Amino acid sequence: MRPHAPPFASNHLQTFVGIGVLLLALGLGVGALSIPSNAGYAGVGPNFLPWVVSVALLLCGLTMLYHARQGGFRHMEEATGDQPYWPGFVWMSAGLLANAALITTIGFIFSCTLSFVMAARGLRMAEGQMATGWSSWAKDLLIGLLIAAPVYWMFTQFLAINLPGLTQSGWL
Amino acid sequence: MMDIWTQLLQGFATAGTPVNLLWAFVGCALGTAVGVLPGIGPATAVAMLLPITAKVEATASMIFFAGIYYGAMYGGSTTSILLNTPGETASMVTAMEGNKMAKSGRAGAALATSAIGSFVAGTIATVLVTLFAPVVAEFAVKLGPPEYFMLMLLAFTTVSAVLGQSTVRGLTALFLGLAAGLVGMDQITGQARYTGGVPELLDGIEIVLVAVGLFAVAEALHAVLFEGKVKESENRMSRVTMTRSDWRRSIPAWLRGTAIGVPFGCIPAGGTEIPTFLSYAAEKKLAKGSHQSEFGNQGAIEGVAGPEAANNATVTAALIPLLTLGIPTSNTTAILLGAFQNYGIQPGPQLFTSSSTLVWALIASLYIGNVMLLVLNLPLIGLWVKLLKVPKPQLYAGILIFATVGAYGMRQSAFDLFLLYAIGVLGLVMRRFNFPTAPVLVGMILGPLAEAQLRNAMSIGEGSAMVFLQRPMSLTLLIIVVAILVVPRLLAKRASSPGNSLA
Repeated sequence: MRPHAPPFASNHLQTFVGIGVLLLALGLGVGALSIPSNAGYAGVGPNFLPWVVSVALLLCGLTMLYHARQGGFRHMEEATGDQPYWPGFVWMSAGLLANAALITTIGFIFSCTLSFVMAARGLRMAEGQMATGWSSWAKDLLIGLLIAAPVYWMFTQFLAINLPGLTQSGWL
Repeated sequence: MMDIWTQLLQGFATAGTPVNLLWAFVGCALGTAVGVLPGIGPATAVAMLLPITAKVEATASMIFFAGIYYGAMYGGSTTSILLNTPGETASMVTAMEGNKMAKSGRAGAALATSAIGSFVAGTIATVLVTLFAPVVAEFAVKLGPPEYFMLMLLAFTTVSAVLGQSTVRGLTALFLGLAAGLVGMDQITGQARYTGGVPELLDGIEIVLVAVGLFAVAEALHAVLFEGKVKESENRMSRVTMTRSDWRRSIPAWLRGTAIGVPFGCIPAGGTEIPTFLSYAAEKKLAKGSHQSEFGNQGAIEGVAGPEAANNATVTAALIPLLTLGIPTSNTTAILLGAFQNYGIQPGPQLFTSSSTLVWALIASLYIGNVMLLVLNLPLIGLWVKLLKVPKPQLYAGILIFATVGAYGMRQSAFDLFLLYAIGVLGLVMRRFNFPTAPVLVGMILGPLAEAQLRNAMSIGEGSAMVFLQRPMSLTLLIIVVAILVVPRLLAKRASSPGNSLA
């Protein structure tokens, strides 16, 4: 493996970033078409800023695209860290998305604990702790519960923030 | 003058009630903790806790948020001195000399000078806020929409084009923020924009979601993707004391740092990078003999004392434009502005008359908080250092739980959690390709206000943009904006032209 090779920030990928900004600009421009002008006395109405933003992003996107094709983005810092470690990323993403999908059904405490365990798993693997047995799962599960449960009680009981529970008791 | 004094005393009376003191203390402690912990900063912490604005009374929560805001500045220096990885940008300069001092066994002295320096600078800057904020507010009442729009334009320009490495990426970030701010109902006509027929989007996109996604989630994703193998090494602690010579060298550095920091906080130019670096450069230049040779070798105490003081002075003074003009110049002040807006309060010149109890209690709490933080960060420093031992997997996974509270607690919508993940991925891409994040938040929060000012100004000019040129103050500001954009470019061009290559 090459050390400090920044594949994630290569010119190839920079092109995609430029295209992404361009597409966003076009999308905003299309959206701006449907906003009526209603300018009144001001001469500028609710559709003025949307146009400014679309055109500005279009220019930014074009400039970035040009830079990406001509030797890369200007004034980039050295990319820090290693090669991207995708398995860890997948674990953490799955944890976050599972949390979003399950929070209203299994409640804040269990949903967040699950997300905690999965994210921690990804991070442990990223650190190279491959040979981890049941004890590490159990440890993460316990820590996750010990963070999520008090957080739930503190925010719902004392700060009256609505977080979904598994039961109606307000404690779970 | 007497007027300010009585109002400040009133503020102390409000901030000094047991409940508010408790909020201040919890805020300072929490702020120190998030400052010490890598991966989470004051902006993220305040953003995650924004949902409490629904229940907690305005004065109490502003005191709480302010505690987090400057508590994090104290905590950040601890990390940058003891860990050999630079943390947030604000403490990067401190790390340069602080690390060297810690390596040569003087971690304690470095921690002491940064805590006491933060206290000195924070207190002096608070005095200046007390004296000048009402004056600025009085002056600002006279400004009309054209001037306000120009001030906001100035804030946009400095935050996106001056800070950071690349103007294109800074501007892209700014316009992304402005685009996010467009979603929802237009303030003046009530016209729905970019809502795609989704009723939730009529209220606009929540600041919490963008802030927590861009910082907390993106940070965690970046850690798992790229930083797994990065090993951090920790420097050894030593007794937190300063010798007589340390004091003699620190005091002038603190004062110089404060003098450099305060003006940078006042102008809408945002960021602590420039003042801290200027202070560092000044100290290095002013040091003599053996002290000068310590820079970059054993670590010079002036190089920690000055930048730390400059940092705190800037951060405190940044409250002047926030409170008197309603203009945020950093991530955290942008979110503080969002907190005010949650209460239906618009910071600006009227704030000192319409919400005077709140403002003066907030200012009084700055004095109280600085004392609390000095206690928290000198005798109790050992406690915070233990936080550095939290293993990374549990730290980042835990941050994600708090991110959920912030994102879900605001609107009770599971859809927001999916959106949070998407914004997190966007933040990861931005971080990887060196896009700054402050312009996104400033653009998103200030954008709708700037648009309203623009349209009001144009109404005054009866549809003619000449109104910006006819009023002396707005013309001056416009010239400053153009100068900020053009002058650095011309200088760079001159410096790189062949005729000057030998100079």
